[in-house]
Amino acid sequence: MRYRCRHTTRYDYGEDVPASHHIVHLTAREHPLQRCRRNLLTVEPGGNVVRADQLDYFGNPITYLAVQEPHRHLVITTESEMEVFPSPPIDAESTPAWERLRDVVRTGMPVPNDGGEILQYAFDSTLVPTGPELAAYAAPSFTPELPVALGAIDLMRRIHRDFTFDPHATTVATPLRQVLANRRGVCQDFAHVIVGALRSLGLPARYVSGYLRTLPPPGRPRLIGADMSHAWGSVWCGSDQWLDLCPTNGRVTDEDFITVAWGRDYDDVSPVRGVIHGGAGHGLSVEVDVEPLDD
Amino acid sequence: MSSLDTPTPDHADASSKLIQGSLFGEADAIGYGLGPIYDEMVTGQGRLRPHWQTFMGTLGPLDPEIMAERWEEARRLLHQNGVTYNIYGDPQGMERPWPLDMIPLLIPSHEWRAIESGLVQRAMLLNAVLADLYGPQTLIRDGRLPPAVICADPGFRREVHGVRVPGDMFLHFYAVDLARAPDGRWWVLSDRTQAPSGSGYALENRAVMAKVLPDSFRHCHVERLAPFFNAFKDTLRALAPRRENPRIVLLTPGPYNETYFEHVYLARHLGITLVEGADLTVRDRQVFLKTLSGLEPVDVILRRVDDDFCDPLQLRAESTLGVPGLVQAVRAGTVVVANALGSGLMESMSFKSFLPTLCRHLLGEELRLPCVASWWCGADSERSYVLDHLDGLVIKPAFPSRSFEPIFGADLSTAERRELVEKIRRRPWDRVGQERLSLSTAPVWQGGRLQPRPLVLRVFLCATADGRYAVMPGGLTRVSTEPGKLVVSMQRGGGSKDTWVLAARRIESSTPAVRTTSFGELRAAEFRSAATDLPSRVADGLFWLGRYAERSEGAVRLLRGAYTRLTDGNMPGASDELRPLLRLMAWIGMIPWDLAKMGGIGSGRALRTALQTSVFDAEHPNSLRSNVIRLHRTAYSVRDRLSLDLWRVISSVERQSVQPRGRVDAASMLLRLDDVMTSLAAMAGLEQESMTRSHGWRFLDFGRRAERAIHIVSVMRGVRIAETERMAEIEQTAALEVLLELGESFMTYRERHLAALQLAPVLELLLVDDSNPRALAFQLQAMERHLRALPRSASPGHDDPTDAALRIIHAAMSSLRVETVGHAATLATVIDQLASSLPEVSNLLAHAYFSHAFARPA
Repeated sequence: MRYRCRHTTRYDYGEDVPASHHIVHLTAREHPLQRCRRNLLTVEPGGNVVRADQLDYFGNPITYLAVQEPHRHLVITTESEMEVFPSPPIDAESTPAWERLRDVVRTGMPVPNDGGEILQYAFDSTLVPTGPELAAYAAPSFTPELPVALGAIDLMRRIHRDFTFDPHATTVATPLRQVLANRRGVCQDFAHVIVGALRSLGLPARYVSGYLRTLPPPGRPRLIGADMSHAWGSVWCGSDQWLDLCPTNGRVTDEDFITVAWGRDYDDVSPVRGVIHGGAGHGLSVEVDVEPLDD
Repeated sequence: MSSLDTPTPDHADASSKLIQGSLFGEADAIGYGLGPIYDEMVTGQGRLRPHWQTFMGTLGPLDPEIMAERWEEARRLLHQNGVTYNIYGDPQGMERPWPLDMIPLLIPSHEWRAIESGLVQRAMLLNAVLADLYGPQTLIRDGRLPPAVICADPGFRREVHGVRVPGDMFLHFYAVDLARAPDGRWWVLSDRTQAPSGSGYALENRAVMAKVLPDSFRHCHVERLAPFFNAFKDTLRALAPRRENPRIVLLTPGPYNETYFEHVYLARHLGITLVEGADLTVRDRQVFLKTLSGLEPVDVILRRVDDDFCDPLQLRAESTLGVPGLVQAVRAGTVVVANALGSGLMESMSFKSFLPTLCRHLLGEELRLPCVASWWCGADSERSYVLDHLDGLVIKPAFPSRSFEPIFGADLSTAERRELVEKIRRRPWDRVGQERLSLSTAPVWQGGRLQPRPLVLRVFLCATADGRYAVMPGGLTRVSTEPGKLVVSMQRGGGSKDTWVLAARRIESSTPAVRTTSFGELRAAEFRSAATDLPSRVADGLFWLGRYAERSEGAVRLLRGAYTRLTDGNMPGASDELRPLLRLMAWIGMIPWDLAKMGGIGSGRALRTALQTSVFDAEHPNSLRSNVIRLHRTAYSVRDRLSLDLWRVISSVERQSVQPRGRVDAASMLLRLDDVMTSLAAMAGLEQESMTRSHGWRFLDFGRRAERAIHIVSVMRGVRIAETERMAEIEQTAALEVLLELGESFMTYRERHLAALQLAPVLELLLVDDSNPRALAFQLQAMERHLRALPRSASPGHDDPTDAALRIIHAAMSSLRVETVGHAATLATVIDQLASSLPEVSNLLAHAYFSHAFARPA
């Protein structure tokens, strides 16, 4: 499946901002099931912009942008053409029992020569502290000796059922504990819940940020989280296998999902993070458009 | 003329004293208690250790009076040099005097060589581990370190992984806390790898001890500290990406940090500029210092800000101490941060147990200095050991950021123990178990005698240009004040000692004890760094310092005027003059209007209360106290730019303006106000007589002049000067009397005019006469001179704010003519115009020089 993705972030400041610095995760990373055919990042005003492209610690492309002229608004836009390949159906039954993976993590060497690639997703991160409450929530899905993928899919379905999508219930600053207690939030919150619940059992889990196709294929319902940045979770299923699960829509991800970046939580991969010099309050608007391209 | 190793007569004398006083050899004889642990001064048998004999000999008999005198001298020196430290979370904690004990810790040469080589090895090792973990991570890939040591550690900064640092040098300045075990061996307690503090205090301790115990210092052949700091300076210079005239700065979190004194001291000692995060900015992936004359590139940042707080863009977002974009500048290689960002990782306890193996692997050597045994619960076998031996261990946080109080396993109840075990099982990587240790003791002069107290020694190392390390021969010894207390921390009220490493040979006398620049002297050389290095923030602070000082002075004059007339009803014209004074005070918001209307008659009690409030009440925005608080706070923010004397005077103004306990009658209030005035006058005197005419001084003086000009105009309006012609003669005389008094020009007037007070000559003296330093014209001329001497802000295109300010000043000057101020009609217009235009000058100045907007999250 090929898509044209367009992601626009617009800041409006109350007064002239002499300079601003941003780190953006707006260029989609490539992986075996996803190719980036074309990518164009533009900044407005573009008169005096310093730009540096790098990879972050998790292997995601990031861009440093410094706007070094007085500006009252800032628009960062990426336009990309992505190709997403159908994932081979996962044989959930044949994934290792979850306790095996947990124990491998405990001994500290999941796969030979792993510099922590996998293991780093098993620990607490800034926005996702593990804890007994999360472990207790996850427990019913992970009966003894259950293959890890089956447990994780069940956990994802339970989150989908138990939690209400409510954009007014949380902000970026709402602690995970509160999301778990109130059972309301948005896709970022649900991604944190599934990631935190899996880690609380000792299983490595990643936070994935990306997009959904805006309009569903004919005859299928429109997904929650289209038109905006989306997020879901991913659980390690042994060796180099990861399974992406979207608790917001209760689905194992497929060609409708475009990955931009992954990390331990939102903080690692937030699309735009910035610091401005001076300036009063600011308004922020984000638009995401994902359009399938006919071959 | 002194030959090496030959005792001078003095020295021989000292030795003989020692033999005579051989009772020093017996610990019991001096009432020095001994425990089952190692004592630095005496052996288990109570004999003085050999390396203490010279020292004790030179010290003479331990006469409490002599010791008290020495202590007093030391206290005086410390006070004079302004040595303080701040205690967090304690309202009284700002500016505690630095506690220094009179007996140094002595370390013999051979023992020091062992410590030295062990520490150099350890520095090389930690640096090599950092270089690997922030680079290829082969230690983890090869299984020599479990991945969890970095994955679980919040101190591992992923944002700076892969950043190339010059010469693979991460640790440029490193400190180690050492403790001595009962067997006499030195052990490593902990490592300080991101921004170690204490070296400046060690330097200051040395400066004081060398003065207080000059004989002992000379005879003991104490190793000098200066070469170490010279080496460090060379290292910093060698780090600079630009070879020509590199700019090196010391980044401090600011005056509220625990060890701010030391930041100021070190910056001066190393000859580098002290800056706060807000003084720096990143443009084109390069760090610049915001100065009066524009942006100046920065090459090396010696930081005293922790890893997390260095860059709100890529590290902790809510931090305001750092510089947005710093990580990018470091990545681009345009600036070097020392220690490298991320090096705080090596402070984690989780690494300690791996070091012996890592040392063999990375350096091919055995680890020379042992580390207090610890077991990291994140590793399976170590965790089982901890769980099996809880009783004998102290449980500590594995990572400094997950801080909690150490838990002594033996002290736990069954329930507490169960809870701890559960916590360890759930998050094993968060904790380490550590062997309980007993600290050695050293003699502390307390209660008129020497008493043994537990100690921890902090030793400092710096990288050298050849990629190795130099150790400072000495260090900061910290002692607890209670015998059995094993926690040694300045935050909890311990004391400090100088540390004397005794050279095997006599020290060349050409090397001074410390470079002679003590803090006080350094302060005197204020604004030594080029005017271009005056950060805009500091200029702003100095400007406001001048304004608040002048504002406080204005308030004191008014209050003094009112209180004088209240206490002395017999003074001629007292009640007539009280009326305009009270009206003035109401006019500038010091007392309520209704009290002023009554003119002080029949309002005794209410008036006294209101006046007292306008002196002491910190909640009252226009009280003297409020202005002094602003003055003090502003001075604090630019403390590194003020001479010690100036700072001391400002501190006394602060103390004098606090409401005393009990009732204050008008007479004692007057005495108090006189004291405040004397201090404020001393402050103004120091500004004039002890400050170099640098840009910094100009801002301070400009602030003073601007405030005085505004005050003069405001006083003129307050007494309704333009209406005096319509007033009764007695009322007019009173108003003029008050004007002259507030304008400190009474004497001058009397010298010139013998007749009764008349409007025109009074106004001429207070407004037009540019030879009167209290006259408005004099302020305007001074302001004009300052503006012309300051560098122009480099923002072309816009209307230059400095020009605009000059235009206002010129207009004001030309409006002040004898003809205009002599006429009631024109006078009113002139005064009103000045009242609206003069405050604008201050705004324009701010616009021209201080618009150093602070960064915040987008």
